[in-house]
Amino acid sequence: MTDALRTLIQQCRDGERPYQALVERVPYANFLGIEVMAQGQELVFVLPKNETNVGNPTLPALHGGAVAGFMEQSAVIFLLLHMGEPRVPKTIDFTVDYLRAGHYKDTYAECRVTRLGRRVANVQIIAWQTRRSEPITIARAHFLLSEETAQEM
Amino acid sequence: MTIKHTSISRLEICRRFVASVRHSTELKLDVRRADETSVEVFMPFQEAIVGNPETRVLHGGAIFALMDQAGGLAGACAIYPEFEITPTIDMRVDHIRAPEVGYGVICHAECYRLSQHVVFVRMNVFEERHPENLVATGVATYMRMKLPGANEVVS
Repeated sequence: MTDALRTLIQQCRDGERPYQALVERVPYANFLGIEVMAQGQELVFVLPKNETNVGNPTLPALHGGAVAGFMEQSAVIFLLLHMGEPRVPKTIDFTVDYLRAGHYKDTYAECRVTRLGRRVANVQIIAWQTRRSEPITIARAHFLLSEETAQEM
Repeated sequence: MTIKHTSISRLEICRRFVASVRHSTELKLDVRRADETSVEVFMPFQEAIVGNPETRVLHGGAIFALMDQAGGLAGACAIYPEFEITPTIDMRVDHIRAPEVGYGVICHAECYRLSQHVVFVRMNVFEERHPENLVATGVATYMRMKLPGANEVVS
């Protein structure tokens, strides 16, 4: 992990920088249009309604891949902030269950770290549109936590 | 209502379908091959879909979106000459290695079982310049929705 990223994470934790700064450094997160809402230290990730994320033009509905990418990126940022000594999480596997159609409107995601090991983290992600109790998508992922660069994975 | 497209090839149906999916056009997905049960879809490198700004490796989410789309197309090939909407039920992706920076990836998706209600698909993603290098592998299921008007998507 670069010193610049480590510093940025600390600034976000200390409230000196908005959490959004962690999103904006990732091109793909900007491509999807991801936003972070913080309520104290609780984070809710937002995928604002955006026509570039549409998958089914007739419904219309969001592209399942865009929702999955949103959830994966949310989990990465959540992990970066969750770890005492942050390391770059690299996705080992990602599993998504699609429960309801993702309508063409704002989508929210919350993450929960089920297990944070020395080398691997297990994260659960839930996404909803109307209310939390009606998730459109649930996902779980394993991340490799290492100091190496992504090419060396 | 059943719609038949015997006059249009599988490849053409796949290409028309991808052209109608805004997110897939943003990812610049290109259907290169479509046969009885499988497809090959190329996703070029774009700075906009980089996941790690330091290494410039493609984001796993973009690869996931490519695989989800390719899997749906493999199902469409198996269902051909009828056309149905097939929303994803679930999908799992294993990221085997980071793809070469600056180059795209190719997804091979195969429908290995088409049941009355469910499409079962496996997919593999390879590097553009080194097609022997496996980048990601996945498995997914899709629901067959025999909706009237589904043909509007491709016609």
